[in-house]
Amino acid sequence: MSIEPVSLCCADRRGATKLVVDRVAKRFGSGAEAVQALLPVDLAVGAGEFLAIVGPSGCGKSTLLNIVAGFEHPTSGQARLDGTAIAGPGPERGVVFQQGALFTWMSVQDNVAFGPRALGRSVAESRDIAARYLELVGLTAFAGHYPYQLSGGMQQRVGIARALANEPEVLLMDEPFAALDQQTRELLQEEIRAIWRSTGKTILWITHSIEEALFLATHVIVMTARPGRIKAAFTCGFSREPDPLVTTTAAFAEAKRVVVSLLRQESLEAQRQETAA
Amino acid sequence: MQGVAAGSDSTDPIADADSTVHRTARRDRWLGLASFAAMLAVWFAITGSGLWPPLVPPAFLPSPVTVAQTFVKLARTGYQGHTLLHHFLISLMRFGIAFAFCVVVGVPVGLMMGMHSGVRAVLDPPIETTRPIPKLALLPLFIIWFGIGELAKTIVIIAALFPLISISAMQAVRAVSVRKIHAAQSLGAGRGTIFRRVLLPASLPGIFTGIRVSVGIGVTMLVGAEMVATSDGIAWMALTAADFVQTDVVLVGVLIMAALGYGLDLVFRALEQRVVHWAGKD
Repeated sequence: MSIEPVSLCCADRRGATKLVVDRVAKRFGSGAEAVQALLPVDLAVGAGEFLAIVGPSGCGKSTLLNIVAGFEHPTSGQARLDGTAIAGPGPERGVVFQQGALFTWMSVQDNVAFGPRALGRSVAESRDIAARYLELVGLTAFAGHYPYQLSGGMQQRVGIARALANEPEVLLMDEPFAALDQQTRELLQEEIRAIWRSTGKTILWITHSIEEALFLATHVIVMTARPGRIKAAFTCGFSREPDPLVTTTAAFAEAKRVVVSLLRQESLEAQRQETAA
Repeated sequence: MQGVAAGSDSTDPIADADSTVHRTARRDRWLGLASFAAMLAVWFAITGSGLWPPLVPPAFLPSPVTVAQTFVKLARTGYQGHTLLHHFLISLMRFGIAFAFCVVVGVPVGLMMGMHSGVRAVLDPPIETTRPIPKLALLPLFIIWFGIGELAKTIVIIAALFPLISISAMQAVRAVSVRKIHAAQSLGAGRGTIFRRVLLPASLPGIFTGIRVSVGIGVTMLVGAEMVATSDGIAWMALTAADFVQTDVVLVGVLIMAALGYGLDLVFRALEQRVVHWAGKD
């Protein structure tokens, strides 16, 4: 079996300090209306690791990503990148959103060049950078198109190229392929694997899909129903396999069984909360 | 649509979808023309146009032929001491000054209201409370305040258009998806860049909508502005002619104003399609 239970909490991972989530908790609202989205979450991610977080709907996994991205502030605790506390959004943390985050009024090339331009690079230089990353995601021929002229899968590639163009330390990806059809998603997953291997980026990946998590990640976290906390964590070896058909092996099926059964309990709990509310 | 054709061929799914849209657009254009022609035909028929006895007295409704003849006559000899072109241009100027003011001042004010809750808190009550007041009812007051010159006429049009344009700009800014702003922030953009390259362009479709609505209303407001204390303008011509039961002159004035409103709408629609061709295609 290629997944092994592991502890990802900071105390157990002295060497992994790229991204540290130090007892981060989040509560929305106050008084009787307050909703505890996230119980204290403690985890450490090493440079070049690919951490996938799976959990039932509303478990706070997107909240966790938003805190790391700097879009939201934790109620308690602290997220740190390379030892520096995260206080707001920043170009060292590139974000890829599910959809609808491209700048519809700009050409594909201008979307990708936006980051370098915002960081003060010249128009020509930004254009070159954009061209390089558009080539990486295979969209060179569409540089002059507008996002609305592209398919959903191509739009997500633009989003990935745009996030990469600033050469961020960490890539934060919030269910980037959730809105895509199965075939497109599988192809993009393979591309992400290739990009991750060639760039060695640290990636934090939120997903609903257990298969996606197991296929891509070096580490997988299963979260509980709301209020979210870490239920289990695993190291995962499938992302090192060069063969994309690794998803059809018995070992993969066995790993999936383990994670599915963990997640199933939490999904049932989430459903119970929903119908009770 | 600019820059669309580059790199696409006939098997392009985008081009296919476009061609269906084009077919429907062509059909709708014909339907529109047919509806217009039918209207004209009814007008011809009930006024006789010299071919048969009119069903309604010409003093009530002159025939299209008479109206056309009157137009030619007015264009040659003018009306009440001014050429027809003068009447048209003076109306266009009154509308143009008021409209330009509202765009140049109202859009930035609306944008600021959309971005700063403080500005919104200050400006929203005066705009919202005066919005339901029919601005024409204020015209006598404006004349007392600003005299019988051009100022009162311009201000009454501004009073009608300003809330429309500023509030549509405000709503456009507030409707910009937070995801796009987050994306820009995480790409390293500061407040200035986010305003210039995200908030402003993302608001343009909403701003255009406000501008197009206000063009129609602005032309309507001309009638009110030229109702009193003036001796020129297309609307004034129509109103004065009505006093003398010169229905043909009234209709010439009305049609010129309709053409003005329609022409301006065409201009802004074309501009809109060029500038915000991506609108609503997220």
